[in-house]
Amino acid sequence: MKYEVYLEGATGKSKHRVDLEKDGSGYKVLLDGQPVDADVILAAPNAVSVILNGTAFEIHIAPTLEGHYKLQTGPHEYVADVRDPRAWRGKKLGGMEAEGRQQILAPMPGKVIRLLAKAGDEVEAGQGLVVIEAMKMQNEIRSPKRGRVERLHAQEGQAVNAGDVLAWVD
Amino acid sequence: MFRKVLIANRGEIAVRILRACHEMAIPAVCVYSDVDRTALHVRLCEEAYPIGPAPSRESYLRIDKLIDVAKRSGCDAIHPGYGFLAENPAFVRACVDAGITFIGPSAEAMETMGSKTAGKQLARRAEVPTVPGADVPLEDPDEAQSLARAMGYPVMLKAVAGGGGKGMRIVTEDGAFASAWRDAGSEALNAFGDARVFLEKYLEAPRHIEIQILADAHGRVVSLGERECSIQRRHQKVIEEAPSMVVTPELRRKMGEAAVRLARAGGYVNAGTVEFLVDANLSFYFLEVNTRLQVEHPVTEQVTGLDLVKLQIAIAAGHRLPFAWETISPRGHAMEVRLYAEDPDNNFFPCPGKIVARRIATGPGIRLDEGVYRGWTIPIEYDPLLSKLIAWGNSREETIARLRRALDEYTISGIRTNVSLFRRILNEPEFLAGEIHTKWLDDLLTRPRPPAVPPRPGSEAAAAIAAAYWESIQPAGTKSGGTEGNRASRWKTEGRRAQVDRLP
Repeated sequence: MKYEVYLEGATGKSKHRVDLEKDGSGYKVLLDGQPVDADVILAAPNAVSVILNGTAFEIHIAPTLEGHYKLQTGPHEYVADVRDPRAWRGKKLGGMEAEGRQQILAPMPGKVIRLLAKAGDEVEAGQGLVVIEAMKMQNEIRSPKRGRVERLHAQEGQAVNAGDVLAWVD
Repeated sequence: MFRKVLIANRGEIAVRILRACHEMAIPAVCVYSDVDRTALHVRLCEEAYPIGPAPSRESYLRIDKLIDVAKRSGCDAIHPGYGFLAENPAFVRACVDAGITFIGPSAEAMETMGSKTAGKQLARRAEVPTVPGADVPLEDPDEAQSLARAMGYPVMLKAVAGGGGKGMRIVTEDGAFASAWRDAGSEALNAFGDARVFLEKYLEAPRHIEIQILADAHGRVVSLGERECSIQRRHQKVIEEAPSMVVTPELRRKMGEAAVRLARAGGYVNAGTVEFLVDANLSFYFLEVNTRLQVEHPVTEQVTGLDLVKLQIAIAAGHRLPFAWETISPRGHAMEVRLYAEDPDNNFFPCPGKIVARRIATGPGIRLDEGVYRGWTIPIEYDPLLSKLIAWGNSREETIARLRRALDEYTISGIRTNVSLFRRILNEPEFLAGEIHTKWLDDLLTRPRPPAVPPRPGSEAAAAIAAAYWESIQPAGTKSGGTEGNRASRWKTEGRRAQVDRLP
């Protein structure tokens, strides 16, 4: 299986091609076309162990609300967008950039206590759209891009779950 | 001993009390709100009852419901834990009226010692030092200045009607007193329409050091030594340790005796904590009394070898304290960090959510007190405390090394935590040297962050391989949401909503 992995960490962004080929109980791994000595196995739920030329990494993986993966290894974190180039339904491109029509999701469960914009408003990148109260703290949800608020689903007083669509900005 | 104990709390402290009951072979009853049905305290107990909707006002703070559960289930004692109703005298009275023992002090002791003003008056009567100052507003500038000279500079002028730093002046020398007095008064008049000001000794960079006490119903009161709690973020304790690096055996004895005198004067019974501010000259001043078990009690347990919760239960059952001494020498060193579901990169906003994966810290000198597990969704309605990670060792150095090692072992994914804050603090030279005070952490957080430790060579390659491998083992059709995703099916959610919300 061939994958394209778009990786973003504290040190920057990078793109890698990873080929995984079943080989007995493990895999033959090609990284950017080069064979590497990598032993990869699921060690525990959501915990992948990779031993790369004898150097051991335990990597914890959780899905993000945008459909990417958040990877943690020790104190370091990466966000990975994995694509299968052969899949006929490609994932949306440029997932890390706020371009095109943007869905604004609630990052946490809580209660909408204030609307800072209304449908049709022109907003700047970083401008507040909605205020959500969770654990007695107020969190401003901001627009990821400059554009027009196409729709505002959130209503004052409404309880929302993590991942609920609050608004669309185009 | 008690027939059965009701635990009127949730989360890690409910689990802590449940463990004490199990060790003492006392049957225990837990309670839960709607969102806590699968909380760890409910999973670990043998008997549990629902007490209402998620908001604590409608569940954990409902005295009537708790007393009702206690009566129905045949409990003859209630442990309140900390927070919620632990310092509410009305709850204590409701227990007494229902013939149930409250595991804690009497309502009267709670009222006299728990309030800041009443506590301060009691401290004066018990000859416990308080921050020197005038309780009554001063009128005459000359009288005020001679008082300032008598208590020694620096002093602070505070508006009677004050708040938000308005009408507040710190005076460091006698020559500056008169102008500061005028400024504070006129600023207070402008801001609050009231020019009157108080005078108080100003403590520069004080430490917060507290004394744990235990008092039985037979007149024995003991001090279990101090906890250093100066590492605070906006007045919230973040790291606690015992012993304090500045407390000498002599100071420990003096502070312990002061705390014991105060407890006796207030007729206090059960576990309590007397908080002090300690200045650079190691003079200590009474701050307030916490009339309950503290979050940071494990630190004292690790250096004394005592189990405070079991002792609380024994004291409430009328047993005598089994010690003869009135002060104690701590053995070794212990330190606790409070791991919260909050985002240190985003102003410490709470980040509740589902714990997708977790690796816990264990091994020599490590204790983990917590109410969470893999798969648990942290509710938004309560304090986002995840775990208290406690390390102990022979020395402070060994304790810090163990804590660092344990923080590397402890991994949690699916939610953000403040673990990076502790990695930073535990490497700060001032912290390691013990040069800390109650504003130290707030100051530290305004300084630029030290450069991050670079990832080990190969980290990026390993991450790319892990991500591709993870994608390859996801069941077909689930795409990248994964089996452990947070997103519920919209069809299911909609179906449930249709069933629940029948009225328009």
